[in-house]
Amino acid sequence: MTWYVLRRLAVSLLVLLGISAVVFLMLHLVSDSPGRVVLGQRASPEAVADFNREHGFDRPVVAQYVGYLGRLLQGDLGRSYKLNEDVGTLLARNAGRSAMVSLAGLVLALLIAVPLGILQAVRRNSVVDRVATAASYVLYATPSFLLGLLLIAVFSQTIPIFPAEASQSHSPWVVFTDPRAMALPVITLAVTSIAVFAQYQRSAALDQLGQDYIRVARAKGLPERLILTRHLLRNACLPLVMLVGTLVPTLLAGNLIVESLFNYPGLGLLFLNSLQREDYPVLLAYTLIGGVLTVAGNFVADVVVAAADRRIELSA
Amino acid sequence: MSTADGSANTDGIRLLTIRDLSVEIWRGDRIVRPVRGVSLALDRGETLGIVGETGSGKSMTGLAIMGMLPAGGRITAGSIDLDGRELVGLPAARYRAIRGNDVAMVFQDSMTALNPTKRIGEQVAEPVRLHRGASKREARARAEEMLALVGLPRPAERLDDFPHQLSGGMRQRVMIAMALVCEPRLVIADEPTTALDVTVQAEILDLLDDLRSRLGMSMILVTHDMGVIARHADRVGVMYAGRVAETGPTSELFARTRHRYTQALLSSIPSLTQDRREELFSIPGAPPDLTVVQAGCPFAPRCAAATDRCRAELPPPVTEAGGHVHSCWHPAEGPAARTRARLVVPAPAGSGPTASEPTGSGPTASGPAGSGSTASGPRLRVVDLRREHPAGGAGLFGGRRTVKAVSGVSFEVAAGETFGLVGESGCGKSSLGRMLVALDRPTSGEVIFDGEPVTRMSARALGPRRTELQMMFQDSNASLDPRMRIGAILREPLAIQGVGTRAQRTARARELLRDVGLPASVLERYPHELSGGQRQRVGLARALALDPKVLVADEPVSALDVSIRSQVLNLMRRVQLERGLSSVVISHDLAVVRYLADRVGVMYLGKLVETGTTDEVYGSAAHPYTAGLLAAIPEADPGAPRAPAAARVRGEPPSPVDPPSGCRFRTRCALATALCAQEEPPLTPVTGTHHVACHHPLGREESRS
Ligand SMILES: Nc1ncnc2c1ncn2[C@@H]1O[C@H](COP(=O)(O)OP(=O)(O)OP(=O)(O)O)[C@@H](O)[C@H]1O
Ligand code: SF4
Ligand code: SF4
Ligand SMILES: [Mg+2]
Repeated sequence: MTWYVLRRLAVSLLVLLGISAVVFLMLHLVSDSPGRVVLGQRASPEAVADFNREHGFDRPVVAQYVGYLGRLLQGDLGRSYKLNEDVGTLLARNAGRSAMVSLAGLVLALLIAVPLGILQAVRRNSVVDRVATAASYVLYATPSFLLGLLLIAVFSQTIPIFPAEASQSHSPWVVFTDPRAMALPVITLAVTSIAVFAQYQRSAALDQLGQDYIRVARAKGLPERLILTRHLLRNACLPLVMLVGTLVPTLLAGNLIVESLFNYPGLGLLFLNSLQREDYPVLLAYTLIGGVLTVAGNFVADVVVAAADRRIELSA
Repeated sequence: MSTADGSANTDGIRLLTIRDLSVEIWRGDRIVRPVRGVSLALDRGETLGIVGETGSGKSMTGLAIMGMLPAGGRITAGSIDLDGRELVGLPAARYRAIRGNDVAMVFQDSMTALNPTKRIGEQVAEPVRLHRGASKREARARAEEMLALVGLPRPAERLDDFPHQLSGGMRQRVMIAMALVCEPRLVIADEPTTALDVTVQAEILDLLDDLRSRLGMSMILVTHDMGVIARHADRVGVMYAGRVAETGPTSELFARTRHRYTQALLSSIPSLTQDRREELFSIPGAPPDLTVVQAGCPFAPRCAAATDRCRAELPPPVTEAGGHVHSCWHPAEGPAARTRARLVVPAPAGSGPTASEPTGSGPTASGPAGSGSTASGPRLRVVDLRREHPAGGAGLFGGRRTVKAVSGVSFEVAAGETFGLVGESGCGKSSLGRMLVALDRPTSGEVIFDGEPVTRMSARALGPRRTELQMMFQDSNASLDPRMRIGAILREPLAIQGVGTRAQRTARARELLRDVGLPASVLERYPHELSGGQRQRVGLARALALDPKVLVADEPVSALDVSIRSQVLNLMRRVQLERGLSSVVISHDLAVVRYLADRVGVMYLGKLVETGTTDEVYGSAAHPYTAGLLAAIPEADPGAPRAPAAARVRGEPPSPVDPPSGCRFRTRCALATALCAQEEPPLTPVTGTHHVACHHPLGREESRS
């Protein structure tokens, strides 16, 4: 097991290195003169050139990348062109808040989707199953901003129980400290994932229900409820664990829309604003963090699944 | 009352009485009636064998007893009486108290039947906690005791293993422990050994027998194998199309087979004493569709003795002396008579004494090939062939581990000759077969075809050669493209090789179908519209399309039912003889290889341990492994002498990643000595054609036992 974890870890690091190189190169291609961006359109070419030289932006791209990596290893993500703040500090402040909302949405989605998917599988082709499946398709096809707008229209305007804007507090704990203000963003996030998760869980559970060990459990005389909790649940959740792991970047993308819709100061909103401001160090760092999260998500998912299902170790 | 249970439950020895049981399964718009008025009985301490072909309703009968019919299924009529208690209509909660406690079930495939993410100790202990209300610790102790009873070595250490850490045979033992842990009165074993090798099967069935008598249980043994029934059942129920064709005490039923279906079934089994010059008896056609209810005897369309009465009226059960019940209007007399046609056998080159003896009709129709062999040397020569597959995961110190699938195999196949390869699963048979037809390249060694080493040819040079080396697969369902019509499937190899015009190819396809006994209408059908036997015929036709010189058939009939199997075997034998093909038949089934092959090689863990003519190998096996394999096969004859337990092969094959030193068989060999651990025995001649790799080969008397 340790061996397996170490190997997976090494692979993950290599992947991250690759991502950072590609992203760095791409941003360099898009904008090879940061001086222009920082000093504005009206600055003289000399001033721009001076700025670039001073900050090392005139060096070959490989040298710049190596320099960037070196600083990265010391925890220095660079400095925002526009906000006059360390990118690290900036991201850290926003990341916590984004993570909390994503997590809340994810947990809510799983709490609903896992039992729903299993229920659908157990009662497949029943009315419950058909209704849930149809609803899933509708939700799946609904863009999250539309869903968010609908939720705002219903729960904020028609029946004003929740505010339309998310909490503007800087604390990452707003989900708990101000649940009313965070309800709509979290629900929007959750509802968009429930559709996918429930269908996924349904098919995973159906797969497992067809397995002989379920029949064996029945042959032992176990009541259906115990068959589900003792035998089915764990096996049927393994695929979803994998999915959730690989879904981390999508969750961030979801944040982009939800955060801007509810004007929630998280990573997504920061990214959107930086895009408008051509604040490349922030964009670079954001993309890298996306990469780290994805790779980490996959890594954790693999390890969790390997721990839960010991057969993996043999074949990996 | 003239039903099977005629003798009422007066003396208290009767445990289970099934009366006129009928089951329906609703599937959308169709209703399947897999069980139609089944009556069976079982006494305390007895084993009732239920035998029949796929879809005859064996499993459904078992599941009905367990109250575990699939979704949409229900019992429409009849009763199941377990020790005076009626099970039909029992409320769910009361049924649960019986399941796993009074009645338990052992399933076929222990890989999927054990929960992959739960420790085996927990799984075995679960019923004890459920039904006995035992504490965790008590249940665990009981599980350990049970695992020891089923012969799991060092059970205390294995309690915390996961199923994938055990071998197939060990998992099946765990399955059995799980079923028997509450000491049920009745255990239903549904094909408990079908997924296992013969040697392991023999051990598991003996274990079940032993436990049954030790724990005083009764058993229902569901199987498609008449041999297993003959050896292990006290009473038999033969099922056909959801009905019991015939039931009675085993010896009585085999000695005086009454029902025409039972007779036909027994006759179609290739036995180890079958005269190889005779065609196997085969039942024409296929079993009926269970969604339709037809009048009359369900076997009538395939029965040689059928009359108008059979087609119009359902034969009622008739009870004869000794509780022998049959449902046939025109019952047969005496044991299964095998009325067989004689095959015209042109003496294949290099074959043993059997084939060279003049047959009744003589070698008038001498085969087209059979001839070219002597002059030009062997058609196929395999020289020290090796194949290693990378094993999952590198070793701790970086060294790559490999599965030694084939480790130095050499043999020759003459033109027109059939070479049979037998061995247990994982011994490297299929890896070898793929290399023979150049579907895979060896790690070292050579396959020489007509003097040319195919294993060293470039892909380009190999292209035209491939047409002459063809393969027939075990499961034609998987090897036939489901989106292509049969016509297109048969034309494809011709088109690839640019043979003829489209019309000519179609004509050829039609001809091929005729050769394998299929109507031309099959050309327009898709693979899924055919039965297993028909698909296997198409697989053979496709392999023959390019007139190959060598045909490798990997488990050609393993996926087929007994009655269909004999049809395909007859066909293959006919094709071999008519075309003078050189073929290599690979199978784990010794009777199949014996029927098809002129010479046989026995493989164990990547090596040939014995080769010789079919008669030599089967008649006077010199290797302890061959003798053990032969002893493990149950013959479909309760009177057949049982091989002494000592002749059996014990345990399971070791891992091909680290094969044992010296003789690879030594870990399971009763005759192993210190020499066996040190030196690997080379393949040495016993007689001119008979070779064995053993330091202490068996004499003729010993192997005969
Ligand atoms: N879940 C199901 N739904 C509908 N029909 C089924 C179902 N399971 C089995 N059947 C049908 O019931 C009939 C009897 O099946 P059963 O499993 O009892 O056969 P069997 O004798 O055990 O065959 P096998 O040797 O293949 O195990 C078959 O026609 C089969 O197609
Ligand atoms: S009843 Fe008739 S058709 Fe059926 S098995 Fe007997 S003889 Fe054959
Ligand atoms: S060489 Fe020894 S161990 Fe191997 S089969 Fe012969 S007697 Fe048994
Ligand atoms: Mg079955």
